[in-house]
Amino acid sequence: MEMNAFISRLFDAAKAAGIAPAEASYTGKESFSVRVREGKIEDYQVSSRTALTLRGVFGGRIGTASTQALDEESVELLIRGVAESAELIEDDDQDEILPPDDHYDTVCNYSAALSAVTAEEKIALAMEIDRLMHASGDERLKPDDSLVATSKETMGIRNTLGLDLAHTSNMIYAYASALGREGEHTATGYKLLWGHDLSDVAAKAIAEGCEQDVLSKLNAGRMKSGEVTVVIKNSAMADLLTTFSGVFSADNAQKGLSLLAGREGETIASPCVTLTDDPLLAWGLGSTPFDCEGAATRKKNIIEKGTLKTLLHNRSTAKKAGVETTGNSRGSGRVAPTNLFLVPGSLTCEEMLSNMGDGLYLTEVSGLHAGANPISGDFSLLSRGFEVKDGKIVRAVEQFTVAGNFYKLLGDIVSVGSDLTFEGSPVGCPSVRVKSLNVAGE
Amino acid sequence: MLSMSICSQVLSRALARGGTFAEIFYEDNRNFSMSMRSRKIEHAALSRPRGAGIRVYDNLRSIYVYTSDVTLEGLLHAADQAAAAVSETKGSGRDVVLQSRQTANIHPILEPVLGVPAKERAELLRAADSAARAVSPSISQVSAGFLSREQHVIIANSEGLYTGDTRVYTRLLCSAIASDGAENQTGSENPGAMMGFELFRERVDPAEVGRKAAKSAATMLTAPYCSAGEMPVVIAGGFGGVIFHEACGHSLEATSVAPGMSEFCGKLGQQIAAPCVTAVDDGTMPNEWGSENIDDEGTPTTRLTLIENGILKNYMVDRLNGLKMGMAPTGSGRRESYAYAPTSRMRNTFIAPGQDDEEEMLRTMGDGLYAAKMGGGSVSPATGEFNFAVSEGYLVRDGKIVSPVRGASLIGRGSEILMRIDRVGREMTMGQGMCGSLSGSVPTNVGQPTIRVSKLTVGGK
Repeated sequence: MEMNAFISRLFDAAKAAGIAPAEASYTGKESFSVRVREGKIEDYQVSSRTALTLRGVFGGRIGTASTQALDEESVELLIRGVAESAELIEDDDQDEILPPDDHYDTVCNYSAALSAVTAEEKIALAMEIDRLMHASGDERLKPDDSLVATSKETMGIRNTLGLDLAHTSNMIYAYASALGREGEHTATGYKLLWGHDLSDVAAKAIAEGCEQDVLSKLNAGRMKSGEVTVVIKNSAMADLLTTFSGVFSADNAQKGLSLLAGREGETIASPCVTLTDDPLLAWGLGSTPFDCEGAATRKKNIIEKGTLKTLLHNRSTAKKAGVETTGNSRGSGRVAPTNLFLVPGSLTCEEMLSNMGDGLYLTEVSGLHAGANPISGDFSLLSRGFEVKDGKIVRAVEQFTVAGNFYKLLGDIVSVGSDLTFEGSPVGCPSVRVKSLNVAGE
Repeated sequence: MLSMSICSQVLSRALARGGTFAEIFYEDNRNFSMSMRSRKIEHAALSRPRGAGIRVYDNLRSIYVYTSDVTLEGLLHAADQAAAAVSETKGSGRDVVLQSRQTANIHPILEPVLGVPAKERAELLRAADSAARAVSPSISQVSAGFLSREQHVIIANSEGLYTGDTRVYTRLLCSAIASDGAENQTGSENPGAMMGFELFRERVDPAEVGRKAAKSAATMLTAPYCSAGEMPVVIAGGFGGVIFHEACGHSLEATSVAPGMSEFCGKLGQQIAAPCVTAVDDGTMPNEWGSENIDDEGTPTTRLTLIENGILKNYMVDRLNGLKMGMAPTGSGRRESYAYAPTSRMRNTFIAPGQDDEEEMLRTMGDGLYAAKMGGGSVSPATGEFNFAVSEGYLVRDGKIVSPVRGASLIGRGSEILMRIDRVGREMTMGQGMCGSLSGSVPTNVGQPTIRVSKLTVGGK
């Protein structure tokens, strides 16, 4: 069945079963990717996928069920599923089903021109990245794969109270990865670029970026264990922020899973820190005019000059806290940021390294799902970076862990750089300098 | 379900412009998940993921198209998209003829979850939650979850195979948080199996799951931070097997070996581990979390010796990488869902029982760390560098456990740690995990007896 016809059919069945009001949210995703290795296409993927979730009030509670199959069997399954779910759920914090808001802003992160780029053009780009990687001539470099991918996503929401919204976005990204070898020492590296136009993912910039990344890591030494001053590279800081972004969720706070509960108005970070969530950011990967419960979205500072201004809310957490929703419902009662970023300062990364004197330039953290505890804020992460002496990078370092606590880190930020970047993710950061972190090496 | 006639039409169409091999993987699922936090069930939902993936080999290159539109038209459109990407047009226009093959079910299911009244399913969460909260007043929050999946698959390919299987997974998850107001620590227990609701009658007591999670959190709350450095480490069995999974298992997957990105490339027949180490990847263990009847390419599952007395014996091989490496598939082709092309993955992977006494390992280790419970981890297959968290660790001084320590992580390289294992205990136990890789997240068991590593870098504070 076609989507709109299926939803109409579903709403009729819901009404007949005593489920009212009812709401259907759906996504349609299309994606393309081509991976090239050694001048040959190694992997080629195309997809199209539709999914629908039905929510509805039954016996005073909201139940949920979902499907990827738009057929009669699913109509029955969804109705049974919603009724069963409504009977089990004991929590009053479900997203409500409401009529539309008065006003929705518009935000553009869809390029029709990008959707018109052909498979052949994308293959040619991946081939060109791979060719440039092999043309480098540096014996130490062993190119791995080059990839070009595009995606397009439509998110829609319709209910029996007159809500009918849809938003479509797309993106392209490309990367190259390579292995470096010098003597017995090996290191992997990559470069990723993304955007909404072929010109955003230029082959030359990707190949050069990848080569530079790999070669800079060769002949890495070990760090000595101890407390050191650290400049955290923008992409590594964004990885940390992504991992710990849940601490800014009012849902987590109200359930005892964030130590920021009830601390609005307090200083929780150093004065140079302003953290913004902006769903209306033009061409942002997380941009959307409405959230998963159909509420209009808006830009807000979570932390402003070190002070916690607000947590992120959906309607139910907002009601509990006596505030307005911030438009951050991610569905299923969860709350999540849209485009989340640290507002950049004025110093370049080089200036921050130079101001630091001696310390560590931390460029990569890995194993975040294991070595970082989003509840306690503790992290202990396998890392890579560069040792800095007298403000200058002296050598690559690897096989050490960097340990600290995210809550403490926010207060230890000495300066925020100017190099804000979103590396193919809706979470972005500039590089930051922090007072100290614990390094465990040799 | 998808008929043999539709499969044969779609496969013929996928090969219309050439290609050396075509495959269709179809699945229709009935999943149920439920979660409880703050003593309330806040989520309960039935879901039905359904779709199909069509794969064509253009010599050694893989073309993959997947869709949730499994009508004949939808599948033929997907087949056309795949065919359009084929460059080698030799052998085009074949008609694929299929023959049905049945595989014996070695993982019988007794009690389908969706047949159990919803309220009874909810009782599991309540039992885990109350038991966890009863452990200590420091337990400030408990999250419990229940997951079940009933996956019906049909797999057909241009070699004439038409087969199907049903996989049933059931799992209980429980995390407890201990808090002193200023700091939080978590503990978790997440047992599961390839079983229906009988899991809770035969193997898993929900209250015990809650208690274990809470005890671990409460113990860690009062623990001082682990100090960093190089030291001997004793790693307990069960989920401790994650060390082998991360540090070595991934590097023995053809996904890493075929493109030459593994540190164990070209080392078959060579010693890669201490002689006390034998390691196995086994899909045949009845009703285990990582078991199968057939893999996601239709190959019957196997028991595969990876390392025997320190010597590398086998890699885990899927069909495509097998062609690249000149090796037969080992029943290791797995995928999270139709949204992923399959690749070589682990199943139930463990270090086999050895000869050593567990008490002696600790007594003779001097100063070091006892890792009673491991968290998750990650590894770079190319270099073998790994990092994993110790979720419950104890400081050992002069062969005696002196106190719990928190915040420890183990880092190193796979090849190093394998050679440095100097004790392997007698009783192997397993723990359940979801392993993430190129073909998504799949259920895997990790396992080992208690082992000792003579020297490891421990990260801490």
